[in-house]
Amino acid sequence: MGGHRFRDAALFAPGLSWLLVFFLAPLAVIFVVSLATRDQFGGVVFEGFGFHNYRRALEPDFLPTVVNSLKYASATTVLSIAIAYPVAYWISRYGGRHKALLIVLVMLPFWTSFVIRTYAWMIILRDNGVVNSVLAAFGASEPVQLLNTDLAVILGMTYGFLPFAILPLYVSIDRLDPALVQAARDLYASGRAAFLHVTLPLTMPGIIAAAILTFIPSIGDFVTPDLLGGAQTTTIAKIVQTLFMSSRDWPYGAALGFLLIVVTIAGTLAGLRFLRQEVIG
Amino acid sequence: MSEIDRIHWPRRPISRRRMLRGMAGASAAAAFGPLLAACGGATTTPSPTSAPATPAGSAPGSSEPTPTATPEPTPVPAPEGELYVYNWADYIGEDTIARFQDQTGIRVTYDFFDSAETQNAKIATGNSGYDVSFPTSTYVKGFVERKLIQPLDLSLIPNVVNLGAEWQDPGYDPGNAHSMPYMWWTTGVAYDTAKIGETLTSWSALWDERWSGKLAMLDDMREAFAAALIRLGFSANSTSDDELDQALALLQEQKPLLRTYTTDDIGVLSSGDVWVAHAWGADVYQVQAERDTVVYYIPEEGGIRGSDTMVLLAGAQHPIAAHAFINFMLDAEVAAANTNYIGYMGPNAAARAFIDPAILDDPTVNPDRSAIEKLQEILDLGADEQKFSDRWTRLRAGG
Repeated sequence: MGGHRFRDAALFAPGLSWLLVFFLAPLAVIFVVSLATRDQFGGVVFEGFGFHNYRRALEPDFLPTVVNSLKYASATTVLSIAIAYPVAYWISRYGGRHKALLIVLVMLPFWTSFVIRTYAWMIILRDNGVVNSVLAAFGASEPVQLLNTDLAVILGMTYGFLPFAILPLYVSIDRLDPALVQAARDLYASGRAAFLHVTLPLTMPGIIAAAILTFIPSIGDFVTPDLLGGAQTTTIAKIVQTLFMSSRDWPYGAALGFLLIVVTIAGTLAGLRFLRQEVIG
Repeated sequence: MSEIDRIHWPRRPISRRRMLRGMAGASAAAAFGPLLAACGGATTTPSPTSAPATPAGSAPGSSEPTPTATPEPTPVPAPEGELYVYNWADYIGEDTIARFQDQTGIRVTYDFFDSAETQNAKIATGNSGYDVSFPTSTYVKGFVERKLIQPLDLSLIPNVVNLGAEWQDPGYDPGNAHSMPYMWWTTGVAYDTAKIGETLTSWSALWDERWSGKLAMLDDMREAFAAALIRLGFSANSTSDDELDQALALLQEQKPLLRTYTTDDIGVLSSGDVWVAHAWGADVYQVQAERDTVVYYIPEEGGIRGSDTMVLLAGAQHPIAAHAFINFMLDAEVAAANTNYIGYMGPNAAARAFIDPAILDDPTVNPDRSAIEKLQEILDLGADEQKFSDRWTRLRAGG
């Protein structure tokens, strides 16, 4: 028995130390810094240790930014899953011997930096960009503003995080035994009913994973709102970035960042629990 | 972190140099080519017209080592054989380092950075291994107080006499005791004359509702507040809560009219996304290469003068060579060659004789005297910076 326990602990150790070193330790550092004070040169001093930065963070001024962040992250999550599901389904069912190649193609954009790809979107969406040039060729007199809008931010995020939705969905759809769908059809379920009552519930773990994997990076993304967004699309992540990089007020930024992390984790856990009860049973 | 660095390059590192490349062999190269060649040639044949400056190696107090023995001994200590320099990318004349090495025999290791954050992090270690770096003037005061840079020995920098009068005692570093000015630029307003049918002269253009959605402000806390404070008739370095609140109210009133806050003033102007933009003058020169209807002005209420400096870092292993380098950079011809290559004006009055007339005549990089007199420097306000950052955060976060 003792031997088993030791073996279990040994198996657990790598994952646990990864979590400790790369997640909990940085989180603890962020928390400690968030209790400190900015010195006059933008350094961090541990005087007046307390929750004063959290009081600053809980101002009603931040509400529009929080609303923006939630809006972009939710829209990105819904859109990503709506696009990713058919793609993953198609690769799994009809990919045949090209499945591996198709999956590589899904991941291909990762070979180029996210920032560079976002710049490419800027070129496409600008007033004199690709889209507006095409519209002008069809006789549009004035360019349509696409860049620096909500639409551009959601488009950029969906583009950026779509692979994170396709991969878990693919795994979960691919693991689904086609015989189960066939059985449903044999029992006179329509194609639609078989999908809704068999395929969808059985791939729900994949959908949940996809939702988490797109929602979390999109709520923390400041590159897309910064480059594709405009004056009215500030997100909480962008504020955190500004506090760290240009205002050099690390304690304040750390407090906001810590709140964002806590709220995200709490939201994710609550969502998972709800789905587990409601959907998986 | 590298992604952050890449998107948040601040004002300068590209500028005209890239434009010259972009125009590959076209008119610009034709115009600048001979000039660069002429400047390069000056190393081998000292120009007789460089009299007011200190021609290489002949200055009495010059610390340049002379491999061929000097006739009379000088009290100046001999420089070390090596030097480590840390500068912005693309921010020096093409052959400046080579000329310095040839002239002094000092071997230079020249590294560069692309964001102030990267540079600050390195300088803040206190033992970066570099001797000389080029921080923006705003940082000098903090570096002095944190003892990250050393006082300069002005007796080793005789070329300091080449500085223009307005650079002998700058606000960020009285008496240039810890830094030497390197290059400067202005902040003002740029607009596209193809879209705006009138002549603009005031900061108020950036608040004009007729161009709602076609306006942009710099995504830079102190610059944005400076625009509002100057428009209100206050100092850009105000620490009065009342004045700052008024400035915040003005910026909040402006926010719904803005298309974006950005440091990519070049991108928004040259694409036509924005018609009137808060912009850095030196950037507008580059915009004009793509969209020649864009013009730049320093508002009648006044604008901002920014500058970069050369400093001797704490823990420098080669201080004498560092002084020799700073002195070399202040040589009239060397300073002019730097300006001609990167397209920024320097503080060197003696260098003007060697600067490309096209640069001297361009108000975007070399504004006239009356505009210069109305420029303010942005100073490091120490603990009061937080008054700005709290309001900036409220502005950016607010609906």
